Amino acid sequence: MATTTLNPAAPAYRSGLYSWLTTTDHKKIGIMYLVNSIVFFVAGGSLAMVVRLELAQPGMQFVSEAFYNQAFTMHASFMLFLFVIPILAGFGNYVVPLMIGAPDMAFPRINALSFWLLPLGGLLMASGFLVSGGAAASGWTEYPPLSGAQFSGTGTDLWIMGLTLIGTSSILGAINFLVTIFKMRAPGVTLFRMPIMVWTVLVTSVLVLMATPVLTSALIMLFIDRNYGGHFFDPANGGNPVLYQNVFWFYSHPAVYIMILPAMGIISEILPVFSRKPLFGYKAFIFATVCIGALGFSVWAHHMFTTGAVFLPFFSLMTFLIAVPTGVKMFNWIATMWRGKLSFDTPLLYAVGFLTMFLIGGINGAFSAAVPVDFAIHDTYWVVAHIHYVLFGGSVFAIFGGIYYWFPKMTGRMLNETLGKVQFVIMFVGFNLTFFPMHQLGLAGMPRRIADYSASAGWSELNLVATIGGFVIAASLLPFFWNVLISLRNGKIAGDDPWGGNTLEWATTSPPPAYNFDHLPEIRSERPVFDARYGRTAGH
Amino acid sequence: MSMPPRSRTGSGPLVAGLIIVIVVAVVVSVLAAAGITPERAWNSFFPVGGATPATDRGVATRSLYNIVFFIGATIFVIVEVMIVFTVFRYRRKPGDETLPAQTHGNNLVEVIWTAIPTAIVLFLFVLSWQTLNTVEAKAVSDVHVRAVAARFQWRFDYLDANGATIFSQALPVGPDGGLTLPVGEPVTVTLKSEDVIHAFYVPKFLFKRDAVPGRDNTFSFTVEEPGTYRGQCAELCGAYHGSMVFEVHALPKADFETWLKTQVDKANATPAPLPSGAAGPTVELTAKNVAYTANTLEAPANTAFTIHFVNADAGVPHNVEIKDSAGKSAFKGEIITGQAETTYAVPALAAGTYTFACTVHPNMTGTLTVQ
Repeated sequence: MATTTLNPAAPAYRSGLYSWLTTTDHKKIGIMYLVNSIVFFVAGGSLAMVVRLELAQPGMQFVSEAFYNQAFTMHASFMLFLFVIPILAGFGNYVVPLMIGAPDMAFPRINALSFWLLPLGGLLMASGFLVSGGAAASGWTEYPPLSGAQFSGTGTDLWIMGLTLIGTSSILGAINFLVTIFKMRAPGVTLFRMPIMVWTVLVTSVLVLMATPVLTSALIMLFIDRNYGGHFFDPANGGNPVLYQNVFWFYSHPAVYIMILPAMGIISEILPVFSRKPLFGYKAFIFATVCIGALGFSVWAHHMFTTGAVFLPFFSLMTFLIAVPTGVKMFNWIATMWRGKLSFDTPLLYAVGFLTMFLIGGINGAFSAAVPVDFAIHDTYWVVAHIHYVLFGGSVFAIFGGIYYWFPKMTGRMLNETLGKVQFVIMFVGFNLTFFPMHQLGLAGMPRRIADYSASAGWSELNLVATIGGFVIAASLLPFFWNVLISLRNGKIAGDDPWGGNTLEWATTSPPPAYNFDHLPEIRSERPVFDARYGRTAGH
Repeated sequence: MSMPPRSRTGSGPLVAGLIIVIVVAVVVSVLAAAGITPERAWNSFFPVGGATPATDRGVATRSLYNIVFFIGATIFVIVEVMIVFTVFRYRRKPGDETLPAQTHGNNLVEVIWTAIPTAIVLFLFVLSWQTLNTVEAKAVSDVHVRAVAARFQWRFDYLDANGATIFSQALPVGPDGGLTLPVGEPVTVTLKSEDVIHAFYVPKFLFKRDAVPGRDNTFSFTVEEPGTYRGQCAELCGAYHGSMVFEVHALPKADFETWLKTQVDKANATPAPLPSGAAGPTVELTAKNVAYTANTLEAPANTAFTIHFVNADAGVPHNVEIKDSAGKSAFKGEIITGQAETTYAVPALAAGTYTFACTVHPNMTGTLTVQ
């Protein structure tokens, strides 16, 4: 490998807005992914506050029923399509080329394109709030006939167009990741020496590539039905509304894994570093990830058990089975910490938070796999609790862990540890206060997506608790933003490797130069930087 | 392999322990202050507060729920204890720079923690499949109801053996409305939707099923306890999805038969002619998009008057009911299904403020000032 001496202090990060707008550097694009996603996280969170405020008490106090439906629809659309999926793609963008010792992604300009489609798609979707009739309001699933032209306005068309662009962004990104991972690995980085984060991005990209075009087809059929007199989903003319659900969930269930696998990857990077041990069962972990990806395509109809139109035992069995590889991962993570030497820096706190909460999201999902129990809890607040334990307790905790873990690499400065721990504690408490009572609300029979409920239904107390919890979560973001602001200016200088990392991104400067590496350490295992630090024999 | 030395230094666990104690103390005292007993808290982890389900299918589902719940809770406790123990036990001592043993894995434990969860989920699958067959079993029943869902309303058609409607109940709630069923008799319900997707959901039945346009979903059950059960649409159907409620009245078999005969006779009787030439002034009122076009109405005191009511919602039933400030019904107009119009003859009312509302859609309201 040729050794080019690059100036680590190259002014790439200080050269103004123009360089950001025109960059094809995977690191800058990754950071833009993160910033853009956080903006939509705040927007989606504000809409969640509207929902929680309105539900705090029986009766309609703050918004109309019509706006309420727009609020929860756009909350979910922002959080899923413009926060969780892209922020994980953003981490992938930043760290995958570094982790495999590559100078950039395989197609840097396509990489820039897939980023810029995101804010465009997001704004298109959000512009629904400006048109008459308001934004899309049929839930993030947009089931026809409710999302059809007869019942929904222009906001739905904007939602479809926005999501199609976002989907295109995902597909381009997935192709880019796959080519990068298969073609750009540095000598010595064999497939079974890749960090788990890279493996999860690899499997996620395969899922994106197989599933997203199917979603796009559903969206285009819906658009044709709405605007050009199509009858794909119109039963009066031989169409079938359940067809939409099949096609939609064929994407949207794998999408759950698109939203959780890279998060698991982040956790699998953090735990070994802060336990000072290798990941327990590295190959078992890869096998479990591939298993989840494969099984993920055979469970979509568990979202449709109550339609009466799917073969229940098959989807029940597959849904139960997918718990097995997930359980294997959980045990491997615990075994990684077992007999380790744990340093409780903020990234590890978030990782442990992930383990404790994602466990609940796994167990309460098994209830829905038991079909008759699903008949009782489907479309109630139980399901709302379940997805938030998976996607907030799981993905969001991992995302914050990832931010605290890689912020020093991205900016050269450490985030403040005290503020980080304060944020973690407030968020952890607020999260449980908000979402745990939703299990009980669902069991007590409260359906999701209702704007109002009767005072005599017995749901008032738990709804009030959930609303208070929602504001605690919102409060937990204040120390985070304050932390980012002060640390960017005055944070402790990080150095190349502040955590004692294992993977190649810690073998270069913080932030890395535009072409990433002056030279690479010898790569003989999945922990080349660990090997370089302790010697190859120390790890065995 | 020797155990690493225990670490007792640092304030981390102390702070963490303190936070846990404070949170638990706050939660317990808030619960106690709100009058929530441990028993009620425990029951909230079971469907409908631990109450016995109202149907035979519901009882089967509840047994399955209990098994899933106890297995799930056990796994939850075991794994959380493992996590918390590991986290507290294997903290790094400040200044300890040595490496722990670099364990890369162990194929035997991988096999164990793959095999045991597989066995558990297969066990749960077989159990839930059995329960599913019970819940899905179609019964031969004399009582066959077609529940017709349309935006924000339910209609219940009672069918004869040939599937023809013998009586249609347009009012989804209240003592004169709702889905009335016999106790102890197998009942078959067929769901139909006239517009978007809805779902028939009765929490106490532990059951729901979608009403999909273009598709008839049929299911059977036997109600085991007489009573009134709250039901509600569970699939988002538009702005007033949350007010798309209904009630199930379960009556002893003899009472049910009497009730049904009365209703059928009433339906077959010639409808009484509308009172013609109603006296007094006329008030105009229109219902459109499941809302009244006017929030306030005025009428003279102590004089009979008429309301000319236009229901502009195709296929949706509306009426006008006038209630006094105490909530007592002073007048209840006949429900008409749009698009249609009618004239209500309202008796003389004393001066005061009344509310008017649609009996089918309780969120459609306004104020009537009589002076």
